[in-house]
Amino acid sequence: MTRPAMTGQERTAWLFTGPVLAIILAVLVLPVTLALALSLTDYSIYALADWDNVKFVGLGNFAELLRTALFWRALANTALFAVLGVPMAIGASLGAALLLHDATVRWKPLWRVALFVPYVTSVVATAVVWRFLLNTRFGLINYALGWLGLPPADWLGDPHASIPAILLFVTWKIFGYNMIVFTAALSAVPQDLMEAARLDGASRWGRFRHVTLPAIGPTLLLASVMSVAGFLQIFAEPYVMTLGGPAQSTVTVLYFMFDEGFKWWNLGQASAVAMILFVLILAITFVETRIGKRNAWL
Amino acid sequence: MGDRGRRQDGVTRRSVLAGAAALAASSCGPRSASPPLRFWATSYEGDYAPHLMPAFTAATGIKVDVQSVPSTATHEKMLTAFAGGALPDVFVLPSGWIGEFAMIGALAPVPALDYVEDIVPSALALAQIEGKNFAVPWSAAPQVQFYRRDLLRDAGYDTPADTWTAWREMGRAIKHRRPDEFVFLTLLNWPDTLFSMLYQTGMTMLRERDTRGNFRSPEAEFAFAFYLSLFTEKLAPRALSTEVQDAFAAFAQGRYAVWPSWPSLLLDLHRRRAEIPRERWGVARLAGPNGFGPAAMIASNVAVSARTTQPESAWALVRHLTSTATELRFQQLIGNLPARETAWTLPQLQVPMLRPFAEQMRQPAMAPKIVEWERIQIEVQLVAEHVVRGLLTIPQALATIDERIDQILAKRRALVEAGRIT
Amino acid sequence: MTRRRTRAIVANSLVALLTAVTLVPLFWMVTVSFMPRGASSHFPPPFWPERWTGENYYELLVRREIDGAWFDYRVLPALGNSLLIAIMATVLGLLLTVPAGYAFAKLRFTGRERLLKLLIAGLVVPGQVAMLPLFLLFKELGLVNSYAGVILPGLAGIFSVLFVRQAALAIPDEMLDAARLDGASETRIFRLIVLPLLAPITVTLALFLFLGSWNDFLWPLIVLTDQHKYTLPVAIAAIVREHAADGELMMAASVVTTLPVLLIFLPLQRYYISGLLGGSIKG
Repeated sequence: MTRPAMTGQERTAWLFTGPVLAIILAVLVLPVTLALALSLTDYSIYALADWDNVKFVGLGNFAELLRTALFWRALANTALFAVLGVPMAIGASLGAALLLHDATVRWKPLWRVALFVPYVTSVVATAVVWRFLLNTRFGLINYALGWLGLPPADWLGDPHASIPAILLFVTWKIFGYNMIVFTAALSAVPQDLMEAARLDGASRWGRFRHVTLPAIGPTLLLASVMSVAGFLQIFAEPYVMTLGGPAQSTVTVLYFMFDEGFKWWNLGQASAVAMILFVLILAITFVETRIGKRNAWL
Repeated sequence: MGDRGRRQDGVTRRSVLAGAAALAASSCGPRSASPPLRFWATSYEGDYAPHLMPAFTAATGIKVDVQSVPSTATHEKMLTAFAGGALPDVFVLPSGWIGEFAMIGALAPVPALDYVEDIVPSALALAQIEGKNFAVPWSAAPQVQFYRRDLLRDAGYDTPADTWTAWREMGRAIKHRRPDEFVFLTLLNWPDTLFSMLYQTGMTMLRERDTRGNFRSPEAEFAFAFYLSLFTEKLAPRALSTEVQDAFAAFAQGRYAVWPSWPSLLLDLHRRRAEIPRERWGVARLAGPNGFGPAAMIASNVAVSARTTQPESAWALVRHLTSTATELRFQQLIGNLPARETAWTLPQLQVPMLRPFAEQMRQPAMAPKIVEWERIQIEVQLVAEHVVRGLLTIPQALATIDERIDQILAKRRALVEAGRIT
Repeated sequence: MTRRRTRAIVANSLVALLTAVTLVPLFWMVTVSFMPRGASSHFPPPFWPERWTGENYYELLVRREIDGAWFDYRVLPALGNSLLIAIMATVLGLLLTVPAGYAFAKLRFTGRERLLKLLIAGLVVPGQVAMLPLFLLFKELGLVNSYAGVILPGLAGIFSVLFVRQAALAIPDEMLDAARLDGASETRIFRLIVLPLLAPITVTLALFLFLGSWNDFLWPLIVLTDQHKYTLPVAIAAIVREHAADGELMMAASVVTTLPVLLIFLPLQRYYISGLLGGSIKG
């Protein structure tokens, strides 16, 4: 350092930011770079025996993945989680937020906290509970269905029902988060517009459609995109509830990565999966920032 | 915490071993100073192993910390523990994993031949890797069938039939009397029933020095067709173990008449005898295409970590656990079948109920001893699940299996061709 | 007026119904955990124990021998581990990120804007991508199967730094400059002026960090191999995979995992929810 002595502020700034920056470098930047490198090698269990068994394979792992049926299955499952899950979760959040927003509802803070509680609980602990709620013979869900005159479903046993079953749980667990976000957005809807629409004789639906929705639209869109990123990272739910079954219908990308990496120790292949996940999330973030920008212009 | 691992990394295994041996030798006097030996086992062996330790601690002064590892996560736990330098000093390995763990250098070779003297030959054959001993067989678990005497008798059978066709015929007879229940308790993520069937046809599952799949064969097709028929005729349920929350209760309640399973079921039958009295169940060898034949067999083996800091104590524990006396005690406790030949000459094991086990364990199926075998089994069963669910035909399934196996074995194939492994 | 009344009744009962449905699983978890073994496997599913019993908790936390088998679920140690790890992660996380967040907001230093841009870009990186190499790195460093190994990745708190920065931006510069003119050192300013102003946001962040660490699953599952070091979620997942048939026992385990979270969250929920809104606006 040949520069003039640092100012007091500068010195303090480095003292304050240095440690966390160093940690970010060590446990995030470095490993992600290494993951990229690892994804280009055939690091497998044989490498645990002898480092000489590792070879550079270029994009071989990616080519291999594209030929692996289970990887496509995992991608498709994850996509299904997102496609079904986002409307379910966002719909539930919006419904709850609209309900809470109604002027006649009393004790709002109380309801708000109660509805938010599932969000802060441990996924593993509540997934265990839901596994029992979804039990075909003794579960509360099928009991409730019976009460409504519907036939019981083999929730975690039928490959076509397993993802909706897990989504029921996920929706229950996370809807409180966006509910809070949406309540805040709803309270920012301009009241004078609402009043004007009411005077124009707009119906309740009309007011929702033409006043509320445009006002909270950007928030809604942003929340949806962010939820997609969340659904891409589903792991604990299938790990605890279905072990990826039945018929691999709940193997997600991350579950696939975990099995490939830590169960079979194909770290090269698993890193390639991680990279693909990374690219997908990058793409979603790109969409997210685009929305953010358009948001700012409007 | 990190200290332990740091000390071991970057140093060759040999030097650690040498150092450890010296350490162990020097610490012979004040034993209390050394940390307890760490011992891992799975399922019941883990749950009940603490009963075997007081005698050992009393005789040697060495304390043992036992952990029971969940069976569905054992493989990844052990591998990550090895990779992280956190393997316990002594642990139990199923025979199918010995080759894998020996290859990665996790296992200390058995130091003297007398550890493996007097072992039932089939159990030893399963455990040895190219004639070398990396683990001492502890118990042998051949697959057999448990059956409901009452339900079979109602259908006109004293014991289960011994050929496939007759066995299935028996299943139909039972199903006919109880159309709402199933007969065979074999779930879609339990690979062993299917593999026993495959072994019984005498097929060779891999070819070209175990580097390629060999499932597109008439034998495999035959076994798959038989397996599938159990489900299409609704003799077995299209269900996974995550759905049948309590398989034992289902068997005890008579919702299944036949359960292809392992000796470990003996303990359940003992512990839950209130649910199903002794006279209602029996044991028999599995049916084969033309009568009894080889069936899947898992042997539990006790191994010592190559990185243990207390090899002497560790091997002393192995000797204790695999002694005839301890094996007999474990047989009493949890029904484990001893791997020591001597044990089988004693009156404790000369009971009619154990006869099918004793016979079956002399005729085990020999699985290919390759690192990837565990995974191949799971993949084959996954494809079989697709067949049962009507998502694939059998020829499609067998082609898929071969393709998948070739993919899994690609790395092995390359190394074999390069002459790096055999 | 009556229309408004009916509407109030409908809206309020709908909210109450929704809340009831939401809380049923948690409520059921608690009641089943007090049922005798096997009592919940009946149809229709029982909602209330016919006989209250603490045997599930006793077995989970205390009793070790059942039918001659030694069941040591190691739930109490796991509770201890979870507490220790969550507290360490929170304290270290605050120590690292609160000063850093303030520095990014208010201290002038070369490269600040560029670093800030990099941090915001870094928000995108999903932690899971780093996990595989991180395991190999930790293996070399001897951090696998250690508390430090669990805590360390969570300390790369980009979100926390930006979160604190956002709050610190609101501190008026005049206030800091006045203190500087009085000759106060930068660290003194931080301690005496900035920290008190950031106190509420610090509580919020502490809650985020604590709950995040408490509920974390994938990384502890990978990096911990010894049951003596398991955190609660990892221990529970191990038990459920082996003892799934024992529904009542599993519910007790879930209660043990969930209860501490609620005890901390409920009294401080105001901080959490306000923080969540601040965070979501920033993204």
